[in-house]
Amino acid sequence: MSIGTSTQAAAPDAGKKSTGHLLKKIVDWFMEDDDLLPGETPESHATNVRTNRRGMAVLYRKELADHLCSRRFWALFALLMIVSVASLYGAIGSLRQTALAAQSQGQAVSEFQFLKLFTTAGGSIYSFQSFIGFLGPIFGIMLGFDAINNEQAQGTLNRLAAQPIYRDTIINAKFLAGATVVFLTVFSLGGVLSGLGLLLSGTKPVAEEWARLVIFLLLSGVYISVWLAISVLFSTLSRHAATSALSSIALWLFLTMFLSLVASGLANAMFVGTHASAQDVISAYRVQTGINRISPYYLFSEAASVLMNPNVRSLDIMSLVEYQNGALASYLSLGQSLLQIWPHLVAMIMEVVIGFALAYISFMRKEIRA
Amino acid sequence: MTTSKHISGAHALALSACVGAFTLLSATCLATPALAAGGLEMSTDYTGITAKPGDTLNFSLDFANQTGAGLNTSLSATGLDDSWKGYFEGNNKEVSNVFVKSGADADSNDGLVTYSVTVPDDAQKGSYNVLLHAASAGEASSDLQLTINVSDETTGTNQLTTTYPEQQGASGTTFTFNSTVQNNSSGAQTYSLAADAPTGWTVSFKPNGASNAASSVDVDAHGSQSVTVTVTPPDKVAAGDYEIPITATSSAQSLSQTLKVTITGTYKIDLTTTDGTLSFDANVNKKQSVPITITNSGNIDLNNVNLTTTAPSGWTVEFSESTIDSLAAGEKKDVVMYVTPSKDAMSGDYAMTVSAQNEDTSLDQSFRVTVKTSTLWGVVGILIIAAVICGLGEVFHKYGRH
Repeated sequence: MSIGTSTQAAAPDAGKKSTGHLLKKIVDWFMEDDDLLPGETPESHATNVRTNRRGMAVLYRKELADHLCSRRFWALFALLMIVSVASLYGAIGSLRQTALAAQSQGQAVSEFQFLKLFTTAGGSIYSFQSFIGFLGPIFGIMLGFDAINNEQAQGTLNRLAAQPIYRDTIINAKFLAGATVVFLTVFSLGGVLSGLGLLLSGTKPVAEEWARLVIFLLLSGVYISVWLAISVLFSTLSRHAATSALSSIALWLFLTMFLSLVASGLANAMFVGTHASAQDVISAYRVQTGINRISPYYLFSEAASVLMNPNVRSLDIMSLVEYQNGALASYLSLGQSLLQIWPHLVAMIMEVVIGFALAYISFMRKEIRA
Repeated sequence: MTTSKHISGAHALALSACVGAFTLLSATCLATPALAAGGLEMSTDYTGITAKPGDTLNFSLDFANQTGAGLNTSLSATGLDDSWKGYFEGNNKEVSNVFVKSGADADSNDGLVTYSVTVPDDAQKGSYNVLLHAASAGEASSDLQLTINVSDETTGTNQLTTTYPEQQGASGTTFTFNSTVQNNSSGAQTYSLAADAPTGWTVSFKPNGASNAASSVDVDAHGSQSVTVTVTPPDKVAAGDYEIPITATSSAQSLSQTLKVTITGTYKIDLTTTDGTLSFDANVNKKQSVPITITNSGNIDLNNVNLTTTAPSGWTVEFSESTIDSLAAGEKKDVVMYVTPSKDAMSGDYAMTVSAQNEDTSLDQSFRVTVKTSTLWGVVGILIIAAVICGLGEVFHKYGRH
């Protein structure tokens, strides 16, 4: 009996140990080299690695503290919080009217009311989901547009690079700190809104709603991180903070507002002539959607709509035909909803990684002397 | 014509005189109960009669008076206890005295009085004697002994009858018969009710006025009791004729009747998945096998049952066996249905209908199909992310300047 217990206790421990070991190996492979530099002994190499690791932690904490203490961050955070709470009030008002209308007609209120708190627009205000779509990029740009060039302009980058740390630690720590702030902000907004929503509306979320909300918040974090990566890229590319801010905002405006115009114009020019068949119209729509999906804004909107409305079953135009073809109005399971938006999530993660990789390369090849 | 009538009339007179002489002779020689004294004689044609309890007997009494003067005669009857209701009747009235005219008008004394007696309901089998006594004020009197043989008390028509003893209906019908137990015996009877039904059948008896089924009924003497007989065939009864003998048995009697039920055939077919659900999952553009069970739930064999489907366009549905040649009553048949949703199908629920039909019956069964997107693209997505992160690792290595 005792032997059995001890082996059982030992097994997860061993598993944890091997997992930790594997994790360490992966991190090592990423962040550190086992190859010895010229003039380095194994001992001094180990010391260097330790120093670098500590330097990473110190820089990360410093960047995080910088963000959290800056007025710029708090101003934007307050703005996001205010519009979010306002959107919640608007949503509760709309939902109440819908519920009263349903009640007067003797119908039951539909399911997933809790999720609707985040996706329903009030009479004169956008929903939380729309606000994240619009203002999230501004928040991401705010966190990253002066990450490198401001240090350079103030002459602190030289001093930083003179510390006994690898150079890429600087940009890694800056990006990681920015991403941390993004996720902190998104989750604190989500938490506050959930709490207020529970208090004010009295809807009881079920487990699936919680899961969908958490995934939605993760999605929002990834979406904002795309813009963080883009703005960090611009901050390494341009010498002046104003230039990088304006470039980022220009790109944001283009991708959010004007890409759809370009997409529809291009698609119509390609397919829809004077004698457009139904097939042509469908092809045009597909091309237009394909171009639109370059934009993180479009990806986020589509993914959020599927995730937060379980009755959205497909993003393809042909799904409208399917409803005349035996499809029943029904809710998708969480797994199926995730499969629908999985490509969107993958695309956004790729955009983050590629944006950051470009910024990384640009920073590493940069002449940083004043 | 008139001559022959006269002749026959005269003949009748002579005959009656002969009979009268014979009666007189037998009364004196064989010491019959009719005793005449002083020229008054009371007589009846049949002095011994067999009767059943409850019967009323009428004895027509003839009188002969040879005293030469009319006699005012009082009538009485003795020998029976009070439960026997006996009285003398004349001119539709109960009488106690009768005036018997003298000889010349003797014809008018025939059938002058009727003695009416009612045998009590509870009279026991046996022979009962009653002595009628006619006495005038003078010496003239006459006695007449009558014998009543009470026969077996159960000769009455005790019976079990049913209004419509033969009924017909489809399987699943409950048959109701209205039966009556008639007790003509002189005593109340308790009948226990029973039915000899085939296996699986239920028969219950409910006396009128009772709220529950009963296994016995009490019936008063000469009374009757209606009983509702409910016959429930088993669910899976085969078509055909069935006989259900029912009996009502008391300690003295055994009554029976045979009820006939004709079960007509019903065609019925059921279709479901083998695990009983009406929904299943399927992947986009991928053949999904769904085991289904077809049941002949009627009571007649079905032949050539065809399976067809109404599925959304672009879907293909096949069966391992699209025609079932023969399906006996109550039998099940497992068939595998292969459903391939179209490649354009979206995730979520679809409706499709599977029909099983032959020339006699058909059934449309709706199924709810939950279409799932293959997780293949999810795996591809993970691979893409892994590749991108590896690329990032390469970038770190190449430009890291560690």
